[in-house]
Amino acid sequence: MIFRLLSLRFLTAALTLLAVSAIVFAAVEILPGDVATSVLGQFSSETARAALREQLHLNEPALHRYLLWLGGVLHGDLGIALSSRRPITEILWPRVANSLILSGAAVVLYIPLALLPAIAQARHRNRPLDQVLSTSTLVLASVPDFLLALILLVIFVVVLPLLPAASVVTDSTSFGDWLRALLLPASTLAIVMAVYAGRMLRDNLIEVLEAQHILMARLRGLPEWRVIWRHAVPNAVIPTLNVTALNLTYLAGGVVIVEKVFGFPGFGSLMIDAIRFRDVPLIEITVLIASAVYVLANLFADLAALLLNPKLRQARA
Amino acid sequence: MTAWTTTSATSRSRRLWESAPASFKVGVAMLIGHILLASVGPFVAPFGSAEIGTGIPLSGMSLAHPMGVDQIGRDVFSRVLYGAHIVIVLSLAGTALGLVIGSLVGLLSAYVGGLFDEIAQRVIEAFVSIPYLVLGLLAVYAAGPGLAGQPALMVIVIAIVYAPRIARMARAAALDIVTRDFVTAARLRGDGAWSIIRRDLAPNAASTLLVEFALRTGYAPALIGAFGFLGFGVQPPTPEWGLMISENRNLILVSPVTVLGPGLTLASLVVAVNLTAEGLARILGRSADFSVR
Repeated sequence: MIFRLLSLRFLTAALTLLAVSAIVFAAVEILPGDVATSVLGQFSSETARAALREQLHLNEPALHRYLLWLGGVLHGDLGIALSSRRPITEILWPRVANSLILSGAAVVLYIPLALLPAIAQARHRNRPLDQVLSTSTLVLASVPDFLLALILLVIFVVVLPLLPAASVVTDSTSFGDWLRALLLPASTLAIVMAVYAGRMLRDNLIEVLEAQHILMARLRGLPEWRVIWRHAVPNAVIPTLNVTALNLTYLAGGVVIVEKVFGFPGFGSLMIDAIRFRDVPLIEITVLIASAVYVLANLFADLAALLLNPKLRQARA
Repeated sequence: MTAWTTTSATSRSRRLWESAPASFKVGVAMLIGHILLASVGPFVAPFGSAEIGTGIPLSGMSLAHPMGVDQIGRDVFSRVLYGAHIVIVLSLAGTALGLVIGSLVGLLSAYVGGLFDEIAQRVIEAFVSIPYLVLGLLAVYAAGPGLAGQPALMVIVIAIVYAPRIARMARAAALDIVTRDFVTAARLRGDGAWSIIRRDLAPNAASTLLVEFALRTGYAPALIGAFGFLGFGVQPPTPEWGLMISENRNLILVSPVTVLGPGLTLASLVVAVNLTAEGLARILGRSADFSVR
């Protein structure tokens, strides 16, 4: 039964991605009218436009082009970028790798940022500390991510000159400089994610701390830190795994703007540049990858919910 | 009779106000402040929105220039005041357009059901799977250079980003309603789909849609700001806040206040609408889901 449910879920994810690819293709190659004019500008020469049409197979019918493009993507043949005239695979993967490192760092920071305030709040529930933290998370949840990035920039670069203002990394960047470059963009992403999970975690912890086994642990004379970390936190964290997976969907779009604020050479800033230079093949693949990340993170969220909640498993099956 | 109804309505809304959560009151107060500033802003601003030479560029915060002076000598505070109504009007227009399109698709999909619903759901799911900022960028690209930088484009972009998400919400709300007896009765009476959607489904889904509208409106200024910041929003010299942040971003080390001024104003608007929306949700007994991002 569970197997059927899982395969159904995988199938819908694949279907969704297929529909996304159609939307992306239509938005980039059909909606703007004549793609060659859109890329090269109104004052381009007819020869240049004809050459571009040849390169992008624009003279073929749209459906044929779509299938050709989709086939290429599935085979890992991504074509040539228009702006730099280099194979897209060559440009793309180093940027994707950088963004993966950034996202990894964000997730590492996210765990304590979500957990520690929630524990403090649960232990001091409805007292001033809890109220202050509650209000600040509510306010933080409303601050747009690019603004949060700039505020962190002002705090840690202008007021306390500890970190570099631009996260420039190259092949020769040392490990320490890499860490310093990662810290601000990763913290921005981590805070945005932690705010959501933290509010939920606080409520869960308060509920768990009322449970019998916590009372039992306290009566056994266990130290408070052990009661919290061994007996309360594991139980409170499980329901937030779903939120954590959903938070990963935020990363798919969040890296785009945060990388731009700090000038971090990742996948997101590549996408912005592709759109700015109207680099058709590069726009298509970057948007597709961002959506694939979103779909996969959603799939994980559903799987986590399914595996953790037997009731859900049966009700749907 | 009329007088009696009015007093009853006033005392009812007063009771509602008194029982409302404190965060809702704070939110409403902040929101009223923002709306006031936006409506009188252009008339009370000490300098013009494009007036240059108002002070020493990047001289920082002072009494004459509470948010500093930007690099070409424009008073940032005046520009923030001029920009307020632009941000608010674009946010409301974009979210309203998204709400109309989204509710229509969602309600129709729930009412018609069957294959239509199945296909609509897949298409909506696909749109939602493109991260909102990425979807917006895609829309900006697809609109082409002709529309680029037009305020109308921002309205369309917000509507495109929000419509699928609102449609999903409206569909879920309507699925509960379509099975009720009064909808069956209307159907048996021979009412058309449009009439049932307008007279039965929409009014019953209204409180869900209202909360949804309020939450989305709250995040729209941030979205407009993000596009302005990336250079895909309205064009300079429009005093849009995100654009101002981006114009002053490169000199943030010299003059942080010219970035933080418009930035914190933007943040306080988003906070105001979100607090109001969350309070509204609690009053209407709906859950407020902050997963707008």
